[in-house]
Amino acid sequence: MKKTLFLISLVFLSLQKVDAQGFQVNFQGQKQQAMGCAGSAKYLDGSAMFFNPGAAAFATENSINLATTPIFARVMYVDSATQQPYRTNSPVGTPFSAYGLFGLKKLEQLKFGIAAYTPFGSTVSYEEGWIGRFALTRLQLKAIFIQPTVSYKINEKLGVGAGFVLSTGDVVLQKDIPVQFEDGTFASAKLSGKALGFGYNLGVSYKATDKLTLGLNYRSQVNMDLNDGNAEFTVPDGLRDKFPNGKFVGSLPLPQVATLGIAYDISDKWETVLDVNFVGWKAYDTLAFDYETNTESLTDTKSARNYKNIFAFRAGAAYKISDVFSLRFGGGYGFSPVQSGFVTPETPDANRGYGTFGISYSPGKHFSLDASFYYTQVKRSDINQETNLSGTFSTKAVAPGLALIYKW
Amino acid sequence: MKKITAYIALVGVAMGIVACKPKYKTPDYSKGEMNPTTFVMIGGGHAAGYMDDGLTYEGQQTSVAKLIADQLKFVGGGDFKQSLVDQNSIGISLLGLSPLKMGYKTDCQGVTSLSPVRVAMSSGDMGIWSDNAANGPFNNFSIPGLQLADLWSATVYNSNPFYKRIGSSSTLGISSLMQANPTFFSVFLGLEEALVYAKSGGTVSTFLTDNEFETKYTELVDLLTANGAKGALATIPDVTQMPYFTTIPWNGLNLDSANAATLTNVFNQIGFTFEIGANPFMIVDPDANQFAVRQIAANEKLLLSIPLDSVKCHKLGVLYPFRNEFVLNNDEIQILNDKVNAYNAIIRQIAQNKGLAIVETNDFVSKLTSGFLYNGVALNAKFVTGGSYSLDGIYFNARGNGLFANEFIKAINKKYKSTIPQVDANKFSATKFP
Repeated sequence: MKKTLFLISLVFLSLQKVDAQGFQVNFQGQKQQAMGCAGSAKYLDGSAMFFNPGAAAFATENSINLATTPIFARVMYVDSATQQPYRTNSPVGTPFSAYGLFGLKKLEQLKFGIAAYTPFGSTVSYEEGWIGRFALTRLQLKAIFIQPTVSYKINEKLGVGAGFVLSTGDVVLQKDIPVQFEDGTFASAKLSGKALGFGYNLGVSYKATDKLTLGLNYRSQVNMDLNDGNAEFTVPDGLRDKFPNGKFVGSLPLPQVATLGIAYDISDKWETVLDVNFVGWKAYDTLAFDYETNTESLTDTKSARNYKNIFAFRAGAAYKISDVFSLRFGGGYGFSPVQSGFVTPETPDANRGYGTFGISYSPGKHFSLDASFYYTQVKRSDINQETNLSGTFSTKAVAPGLALIYKW
Repeated sequence: MKKITAYIALVGVAMGIVACKPKYKTPDYSKGEMNPTTFVMIGGGHAAGYMDDGLTYEGQQTSVAKLIADQLKFVGGGDFKQSLVDQNSIGISLLGLSPLKMGYKTDCQGVTSLSPVRVAMSSGDMGIWSDNAANGPFNNFSIPGLQLADLWSATVYNSNPFYKRIGSSSTLGISSLMQANPTFFSVFLGLEEALVYAKSGGTVSTFLTDNEFETKYTELVDLLTANGAKGALATIPDVTQMPYFTTIPWNGLNLDSANAATLTNVFNQIGFTFEIGANPFMIVDPDANQFAVRQIAANEKLLLSIPLDSVKCHKLGVLYPFRNEFVLNNDEIQILNDKVNAYNAIIRQIAQNKGLAIVETNDFVSKLTSGFLYNGVALNAKFVTGGSYSLDGIYFNARGNGLFANEFIKAINKKYKSTIPQVDANKFSATKFP
């Protein structure tokens, strides 16, 4: 017991950095989150529908799993020329997941279920009058994936599964425009809209030995198309004809993710997991807005993002204290898809390490609780090519999560 | 045991959430090898906060001098006293008019559009042109139109109506400005001389000979540095890059086929023809031919003082060629450039001799001319829309002054190994629209 606590604190001391490259959010399962967000090789609970639909074939019960992970994130930007700090006052992020996984008595190899989760999103809002206000004042990006899933256990060693992904999204982007009203306040732009996208999620889980399980998971790219966006400009009357309110069209690619997962049970008490992610961020090459009505002041924009494909490594372990309690801990390291010269206030991203831990409580046959805790701290200095914003973003984030599972 | 573990975990979580905020470490700002305690600036309109063709309280709050002084406070700079005009005053221009703002104007053709207009039909606030030296000494010894020779002039009190704000009739400026006992100073003089010449289309010259300029500038700097004070000297930028000289295009005469033919008939005799589309305007030039008129050359400048209604409706610039006062021709541009180059060479030499920082102001003016990005704002030297020049087309607006002040700060930091932080220029106003 003492040893475990010691281990946890060690993880925290050594890995004071963490997870969520780009605007990816890796909070889809509390047990995995507690183990460094790894665990796609084998079945842990209904969240396998996200991590690996193939592993879901090994479910031994029906379950409903509801979870949320509030993200408390704070960004500070220190401008290199003025040396002054500016902060975010972003609201608490609330990624959630809901899984219902069911089997048929007559055909126990077949499992089916439905998953709803939020693998991408970001809400960042900067303080009034911050130095980068003409680049961004607020961005709210939400994508909810709904995924009906079917899993099939081919034999005792091999499970496969597939899910169809329907993604609905919501985006609001606000920034100031460098023209002023007579009272000195700056004009502003608000771009908002709803987007829709489709994709799929495939997985295979293979029990190589009693102790070793391997998993492969592929989640496709989802192109979120925004076809009916609203562009609203708050500008002085004298400039109204230069900034007409109207429609705009845009799109945002949510990248493909391929994962190799390995799970190894050291003993009855200890299990370990390792995931390697490949994330196809290269798809996010340009952020384009095509306005219905163009003027000399309002031209279609094509902002280079130039994201690159990245790898992320995640690992963790679980220790079974008793039949009722389990402790988990882990960590990971992910490379940033954002290249130098392209760091923006919307995603002040950097390579990051992180540490996590958690606890599971299963008092009886039907109910269980999983809790997790995640911490990250990152720093990135850059001179953005599009805006010439030059400074250092520091981010600290903690995300305590809780899942309630009912099974029968 | 379990309870304790759970408790520890809970406290840990709570602490984690509370501590979840990046810490700001105040930088160790250093004054380096200078003493910013008492900063004095001597200059013209830019240093005084003149903008939108007027001196106002608001403009004074963002004068280049004030913005530098505000940043010097990070390294121990003291109070910076300016000869402030009344907060509610509408302000006044060099010619006694009220300042400019963006408003609606109907031209001779009946077309209404956004344009710089005077804040009030009446004159500016004449009260600004009254004695205020008794409230000095001032750290900002700058007024619109201040020239180097004015510091030794007994007549400037009467010739520059703004002088009363900082100086008296009984004491020479060179004595008045030393009363503030500067420990650090900046001199930005010579530009107003260039402006007098350029804005008059080369018809008025107040340029000193190079020798006189060198003697007076040296005397000023000798006095300022007598007690060991350090400072920054600013060179004179190329004023012809400013919107006042670039907004009206040399070939802005657009003609249809009938007008082109008519004008060709009229001017053919002296060798000028006109085409459909863009044509050069006609200007007065005594040396051109027996009629003393010619087409303007591509690199010559038309001034913003040209009455545009007369151009649109009364053939000014065509049948009535632009008079000399509206044109900076090639000869005049040459005279101007030669003078500015000579003055700048003197200023650089003095800075080097005295170990002072040098601010190459033309680097900034040229950077604006080619355009650049500043924290998400695209800036250039276009009139009204460029984002840095005020509505008079010569002096910067508050944002421009912020950026300009940063050039001084960079030069000071470089010379004296100080780490004075720069100004966030975007927090100040640019052009306001109705």
